[in-house]
Amino acid sequence: MHAEHIKHDFEPKIVAFVCTWCTYAGADLAGTSRMQYPSNVRVLKFPCTGRIDPVFILRAFQKGADGVLVSGCHPGDCHYMAGNFHARRRFAAFRALLNFVGVDLNRLQFSWVSAAEGGKWVDVVTELTERVRTMGPMPEFKELEHEEQWSTFAGTSVDKSTVLNSPELKEAYDSIG
Amino acid sequence: MNAKANKNQVTSIEPAYYQAITEAIRKEAVQILKDETVVGVVGYLPGRRKGTASPALVTTVEEAEKLIFSPACVNNLSVYLTKAKKGVLKQGKVGIVAKGCDMRALAGLMTESQLQREDLFIIGVVCPGVYGFGVERTGTVTEANIARKCRECTVHMPEGADVAAGTHAELADLTPEEAEEMARIEAMPQAERWAFWKEHFSRCIRCMACRQVCPFCYCEQCLCDKNRPQAVESSPRPAGNMAWHLVRAMHLAGRCGGCAECERVCPMDIPLNLLNRRMAQELKELYDFEAGLTPVEKGPLNEYKENDDQSFIK
Repeated sequence: MHAEHIKHDFEPKIVAFVCTWCTYAGADLAGTSRMQYPSNVRVLKFPCTGRIDPVFILRAFQKGADGVLVSGCHPGDCHYMAGNFHARRRFAAFRALLNFVGVDLNRLQFSWVSAAEGGKWVDVVTELTERVRTMGPMPEFKELEHEEQWSTFAGTSVDKSTVLNSPELKEAYDSIG
Repeated sequence: MNAKANKNQVTSIEPAYYQAITEAIRKEAVQILKDETVVGVVGYLPGRRKGTASPALVTTVEEAEKLIFSPACVNNLSVYLTKAKKGVLKQGKVGIVAKGCDMRALAGLMTESQLQREDLFIIGVVCPGVYGFGVERTGTVTEANIARKCRECTVHMPEGADVAAGTHAELADLTPEEAEEMARIEAMPQAERWAFWKEHFSRCIRCMACRQVCPFCYCEQCLCDKNRPQAVESSPRPAGNMAWHLVRAMHLAGRCGGCAECERVCPMDIPLNLLNRRMAQELKELYDFEAGLTPVEKGPLNEYKENDDQSFIK
């Protein structure tokens, strides 16, 4: 079974915040079972989904992630009894907030993947990667990161592209990412 | 309480009404200081300029006789029982003048074990509304100068206070500006919503007044001040601003009582209360929880049910 190498012009960066006990083991199972899934995903291991602060998701977006996956144990399977239940409520609220400020929720995926579900992990990652690929890069947070001006006033004629925002800066930033 | 049936349909509040509340507060404050029920009363004294008021902690009967209540009493005094003034409560029981919206903050603080009910003597004020900002202070509130939050106040009657000053009075037929604004943003396409908030947040100068004035931001160490590792950039650049305001809204979700102090103190006029209101609305829809009506065991984000909605999770 060989992975198909298709050249895409856009490779999204996906950051996955996963819980040690289930999803990380699930992803490991996918790996040891030689299942193929997109290599766009960067996995970050956390003790529990309850440890995953919305700040991390924001930061991932700010640092250039095009999509974020948060994944943990199924309800009732939490190693710490209730971590994922708390996380579930928190992320439900956080989604609403992100939606309210105008972030596309299609770039953010939550899932429950147990340690035995290597196949599900592959499906979730593949689906998110393909979805984000069709959506293209996520410019919003990157633009914020690029903007160096202290304040912009609605109604003034400040040209936002000239204020400390040279092509060199952009290039330097992009080279870091 | 069925407010609709026995509402005084008025278009402006009589100055005499505020006078009556002032009298009641003074009487009560003097009384509790005299019989040493409390060590001090947190209330409002007249400000230096006409038509203003400033928060104060009064500890003597002479001072207590100067306490006032007027439409200029905008501050939420519950913040004086947390953070920098924590020492006050250690001296003994404290009296506090509280409007309906301040009562919600007090209830929330009791929920989070920051305050004990028995440490407080709450003088509730039946508040018809306070001044907005940048308005003409005519000595009374009217449709023209009432604060935005007061237009949609649901807590004119302070519930659970020790004594209540004033009778029921509220202005009639106020347009719910904030709800309309919220609906307007909700209806925008996504890119426009982002542009709207980006424009507002990019004005932010990170003075942290919103954090400072909020009764619920009592963390000794704020996540946003930490720099090892730095979770939220602290310089006033758009990236850090966006993160800071989202984190703030998230940390207040299910706790904020909607006193809108953050919006009032914001020097850049960022409509912060819209974010808080949005979160409150969301938690009401999802978990049927309204913050601060009474002290509860746990807030909505500190508890869970097995059957919570997980339609968004694969």
